[in-house]
Amino acid sequence: CKKFLEIQPKGVDLESNYYQNEDQMYKGLVAIYDVVAWQGGILTNKEGVAMAASDDHYGGGEGSGDMNFVNMDKFTLTPATGPQEDLWSRGFSGVFRANILIEKAPAAQMDENVKARMVAEAKALRAYFYFDLVRWFKNIPLYTTNITTSEMYNVTQAPPADVYAQIEADLKDAIAEPNLPNTVPAATEGGRFTKGTVHALLGKVYLWEEKWAEAAAEFAEVNGSTPGQQNPTYGYKLLDDYGDLFSGDVANKFNSESILEIFHTTLSAGSWGGGGVAATEGNIMNIMAGPRGYTTKTAGAPDYYSGWSYWPVTKSLFDAIHFDPRYKWTIANLDSLKANGIADYTPGAQNTGYFIAKWVARYSNLPTGAGDRDLNWGQNYYDIRLADTYLMEAEAIVRGGGDMTRAAALINAVRARVGLGPVAATMDNIKRERRLELAGEGQRWFDLVRWGDAAQVLASEGFVAGKNEILPIPLREMDNTKIEQSKEWGGTK
Amino acid sequence: QDIQVKGKVISKDDNLPLPGVSVVVKGTTRGTVTGPNGDFSIAAPAGATLEFTQIGMNPVSVAVVNTNPLTISMVSNTATLSEVVVVGYGVQKKKVVTGAISSVKASQLESQPITRVEQALQGRVSGVTIAANNGQPGEAASVRIRGLSSFTANDPLWVVDGIVVDNGGISYLNASDIESIDVLKDAASQAIYGTRASNGVILVTTKKGKAGSLQLNYNGFYGTSAPARKLNLLNATQYAVLRNEAAAADGNALPYANPMSYGEGTDWQEAIFNNSAKRQNHEISLAGGGEKSTFYSSFGYLDQEGIVATDISRYKRINFRLNSTHKVFKNFTIGQNLGYAYNKTMGLGNTNSEFGGPLASAIHLDPITPLVETDPTKAAAYDARARRNAEGFPYGISSVVGQEMTNPLAYISTRLGNHSWGHNFVGNVYAELEIIPNLKVRSTFGGKMAFWGAESFTPEYYLNSSNINTMNQLYRESNRRVDWNISNTISYNRSFDKHNVTLLLGQEFYQDGSSHGQYVRYDGIPATTYEQASFNYSVPNTQRASGASDGQYHRVASLFARLNYNFQEKYLLEGVIRRDGSTRFGANNQYGIFPSFGAGWVPTMEDFWPKNDVVDFLKIRGSYGIVGNDNIGDFTYISTIGSGRNAAIGTDSYEIGYSPNAPANPDLRWEETRSANIGFEATILHNIRFNFDWFNKKTNGILQYPRIPAYVGAISNPAANVADMENQGFEFELGWNKTINDVKLDINGNFSTLKNKVTFLQEGISFINGDVGFQNLQYGVTRTMVGESFNSYYGFKELGIFQTQEEIDQYTGAKGRIQPNAKPGDFKWKDVDGDGDIDENDREVLGTSLPKYTYGINVNVAWKNFDLAAFGQGAGGNMIFSGLRRFGITAANYQTEALGRWTGPGTSNTYPRLSESDPNYNFRNPSDFYLQDGDYFRIKTLQIGYTFPKALISKAKLSRLRIYVMSENLVTFTKYTGYDPEIGGNVFSIDRGVYPQARSFFVGVNVGL
Repeated sequence: CKKFLEIQPKGVDLESNYYQNEDQMYKGLVAIYDVVAWQGGILTNKEGVAMAASDDHYGGGEGSGDMNFVNMDKFTLTPATGPQEDLWSRGFSGVFRANILIEKAPAAQMDENVKARMVAEAKALRAYFYFDLVRWFKNIPLYTTNITTSEMYNVTQAPPADVYAQIEADLKDAIAEPNLPNTVPAATEGGRFTKGTVHALLGKVYLWEEKWAEAAAEFAEVNGSTPGQQNPTYGYKLLDDYGDLFSGDVANKFNSESILEIFHTTLSAGSWGGGGVAATEGNIMNIMAGPRGYTTKTAGAPDYYSGWSYWPVTKSLFDAIHFDPRYKWTIANLDSLKANGIADYTPGAQNTGYFIAKWVARYSNLPTGAGDRDLNWGQNYYDIRLADTYLMEAEAIVRGGGDMTRAAALINAVRARVGLGPVAATMDNIKRERRLELAGEGQRWFDLVRWGDAAQVLASEGFVAGKNEILPIPLREMDNTKIEQSKEWGGTK
Repeated sequence: QDIQVKGKVISKDDNLPLPGVSVVVKGTTRGTVTGPNGDFSIAAPAGATLEFTQIGMNPVSVAVVNTNPLTISMVSNTATLSEVVVVGYGVQKKKVVTGAISSVKASQLESQPITRVEQALQGRVSGVTIAANNGQPGEAASVRIRGLSSFTANDPLWVVDGIVVDNGGISYLNASDIESIDVLKDAASQAIYGTRASNGVILVTTKKGKAGSLQLNYNGFYGTSAPARKLNLLNATQYAVLRNEAAAADGNALPYANPMSYGEGTDWQEAIFNNSAKRQNHEISLAGGGEKSTFYSSFGYLDQEGIVATDISRYKRINFRLNSTHKVFKNFTIGQNLGYAYNKTMGLGNTNSEFGGPLASAIHLDPITPLVETDPTKAAAYDARARRNAEGFPYGISSVVGQEMTNPLAYISTRLGNHSWGHNFVGNVYAELEIIPNLKVRSTFGGKMAFWGAESFTPEYYLNSSNINTMNQLYRESNRRVDWNISNTISYNRSFDKHNVTLLLGQEFYQDGSSHGQYVRYDGIPATTYEQASFNYSVPNTQRASGASDGQYHRVASLFARLNYNFQEKYLLEGVIRRDGSTRFGANNQYGIFPSFGAGWVPTMEDFWPKNDVVDFLKIRGSYGIVGNDNIGDFTYISTIGSGRNAAIGTDSYEIGYSPNAPANPDLRWEETRSANIGFEATILHNIRFNFDWFNKKTNGILQYPRIPAYVGAISNPAANVADMENQGFEFELGWNKTINDVKLDINGNFSTLKNKVTFLQEGISFINGDVGFQNLQYGVTRTMVGESFNSYYGFKELGIFQTQEEIDQYTGAKGRIQPNAKPGDFKWKDVDGDGDIDENDREVLGTSLPKYTYGINVNVAWKNFDLAAFGQGAGGNMIFSGLRRFGITAANYQTEALGRWTGPGTSNTYPRLSESDPNYNFRNPSDFYLQDGDYFRIKTLQIGYTFPKALISKAKLSRLRIYVMSENLVTFTKYTGYDPEIGGNVFSIDRGVYPQARSFFVGVNVGL
């Protein structure tokens, strides 16, 4: 009788005897990276939300049913509606998976050097997730050992300064780890954090903390001694052709300009029936960004793939970039294509006629694998790239009072790549350059908040100063817990 | 000196011969059975007594005298008291049962249009709430015995001839093969099934052959079905007017310049409803046997077309059954039961969903878009992949209503031929040895083997700008599973003087969860239709997808004992104890012990009970017991690692990642239901039967996967014992039969009440949000709280509509105006927490989704050769959430009730103004605006039959010929305005556009040979 009841789960490992060898540790590490490219819920991803919130894009989509992005765009969020629950879950999923790997590592039987590298990556990833969380929400729980079932409802929020301290500590640990490589082979390890990634991330963290000198030092490590020249340690160098950054093809993945790249593939056979958006490794942004009902009318029409019309570009960005060399890579002007009889499309919600060309799916990149097309686009995008760190270092120097010649060299290296003449290293120039260079890459919203410009720039969109800089704590996170709503959102924290 | 006695046995009810009646010379073993014409011949000594017995008939004793031939007339025993009921691992005389058991007999199911066995119980027994999940042919119904015992799994335990059959798999049964269905409602009767018995146990016994004649029967019916009701939706002109109004309210441009130009427009419902969906059912059974062996065999065929999108909604089933028993030696019997069913189901996809499919699309699509675009200019602009009719014209695509809503005809054309299938074998073999008289050892091995799968082909299509398929897909899936159980019992019964004792000891092993399956999909094969599609086409490996899965074994090991004692059938006692071990719990909680106790008293048996003609029989009984439930996932008490946490590391590839699933809950334990039952049964004035029960059922430690805070970071929720819940109710059953001259009347009714209340929630938890969302509503529709019923509706309460700005200005609280942004025509929301504004804290419980009472009535009238059977059934006390319009689709069509919207002071106090952006959340808040009374009563079946006189048909060698006409769901009385008030599912009564029950008319015939 007793024997009859002794059965082992089939094809399922138990946590208590997992993470015991290199293979299992690696699979645990992959699970952390999984969260980096996370997209879920109602099509939420970090870049998309930040785009909708900025002055460069509307929410778009099909109609008022696509409320997450419209709510973000119009600042009509409530603790119950909006993308915040997805972003909150994303962050803590990452923290949870990093914690368990770090906790289990000492007992794993494997090469200690390989292990040390994995632990360094896990710490850097944990810092990455906390950095996003603290910027989005400000008041978050902080833990480095996973929460047990019995403590689950007793968790409280930590002061933001403590979160930043933990982030810095994790990133410094990672940098100090000799086994964390400076570069990785793109074909097999592209996307894994390198020492360069961690320096750039730490620089960005310092920038948010307004620790100008420390930020500039970290960025200098990444950007190299001579702006425009290849960094001999990490191999970083601006691509010659700006358009190659957004070609969406395999050849340009993990290019020399890429520092922290969000990875996707056409080969994971994602399907609506098989878990949908949450289960694919394909890039959902490609199909979301495309014009709805796109059809070509002449042979020379762009090979866009019909999409769902999210993130229509605002007139404001259009006007700012129209005569910039980066315009053609940034904006798909469907209005003009339609007016000239080249192509046709169905306007979606908040239509402007302008779409974000960097992410519009193209037939030339058509997924060839199994699964539903919508879910298997393979374009990667950038969380941090070299032009970004150039401009961030310039900013740290300008705001912190450093070597203004270097600051100008950094800005002008970015401009020179697209054939623009030099400008002076001023905050105004940095701001304009960041907006145009990084348009549609999810940076603008964070920049506006960091610069304190959001209230002024986004006033017409409904932005309320002292409130909309952060997202509300998701309503359901306060159900039955000790989590409190932020003061900005009428709460007590 | 023996006399050769000859004669004939007939039924007094209809004067038809009775085959298979056992005839025994009293006090001897000499006996025979009557033949096909009721004839018998037996040698008996003069002065001896012949005993005639048959189940369902009152026994008759006749003294042998020298007069031939005898005609014995037997009276059927409709007074159920001398019947037996099936209990776990045996049968008991109904007279001495102390638990609450309700039964349905074969005679009640004869010629009824019952596709699935659940329907056989609906309205026919008390204490059972049944609601069809939807009206798609072959679809399951939700069965709740005495309310809800759990949060996640409330399906009863089905035991067919001793074989545990999972709830979904019960569809293999053919209703006409059923001899009886016995529903064990209280813990005393359930305890013998300890594990998983807390949701109630339904014992189904299939028909067995009888010694004697060979009986061949045919029953068949044929008919058509139609929807009983259409929704009243706006026509094109009305639609354009209202859309303009909604746009104008927000200061947006008017979408329709000239509403009058659109006329009536498209009736999308007309396009999907079938008013003559066909249904046919044929059953042939052959039964018989001799002294040593008996058998029952049958064949059934059912073909039912759906009333919605018939081309993709259809159910076919073929059944075979063979049951046999063999008396190998005088004290050794072996037997087997085997049922087989094949089913082919075409389903239209969403049967109760606001997210697309033919029904939701028909409700939401604008009436302006044409069904088929016949204007060549407009048709030319359609995408090449747009679906087209036979003439090559594209099916109209709405330019305003998109998302999941697609032209239903186009949608149907993408799913033609797609179906799922199943082969189910459910059977057992048993052997019984009577070692010494009355000491029986019985071993049974039973199991279910199922094969099931699906086939589909999805062509390239362009249904609208959100629904495009650029590469066709051919999909095939197949699965199989074997569940089995072995049970061994010893039983001994003995009468000492006036004491009757029966003891049962048993042991059982049970296993399920062995399912495994695989699927394969080819993309981009050179075919355009389902008929052409084949896996013989080859496609590159990158266009192939496949997957497979293994189930986790779930095992239960049990020991049980039952003692029945009665003194003169006057004082009744029963005790049961069962110990179960389940693989679903850790070592600390692996075993559960489930005891029960019952007692009864039959005062009418007492000497002091006065002889009278009023109360013939009275039994008072009570019981108390504990049963358990282990119905939660496998290995949830330990932390497991799951895969699929993949990352696209590398240039165009991805790596498989693993991480923990849910935090462990090592203290996970059995869900326990304690129930008390008090009842009585009475027979009054010889032909009135009355049955009453009161019960109180309390479940402790309800198993669920409660949502844990996302900051924990786990990918899934751990299983936990989260709550306690109580169900309380009364049940009445009343029957009356009487023959008045030529008219025979038999009326049965039942009525049950149910009060469901959550009494405790896990430490630290003050409520559990229901997992029922609606559309993208910012709040769930239901919530579970202490003191309220499970999954109560939870939302805002509207206090009418602001008619003027003045009313808005006067609606003030601590912060000034409570709804400062409201406009005349908006709902006035109740400020529940009184803090002066309207936010999430202003929601409250608005009603219950679970019916508070259910009832049924069955009337049978026979006059000469005519018979009439009417059966009605109803439920009420619940509210229906009528979610028939997606507010997220601005351009969705409205029901005609929107014509009564608020348009100015005094125009409406119930339907708010229309606005595209809905700033006051009139439609976007879950509120009592969406709730409607769910009461209904339905004439479920009405049947009129005519039996041909025997004289007429005997020339054709027939013993019986009856023809009948029948209607199903003839009338439904309800105030509910949607398609159908009967909505089952995980949470009852949530209407997202449910596939309605059909109204059907049939003609049928019964033939007996």
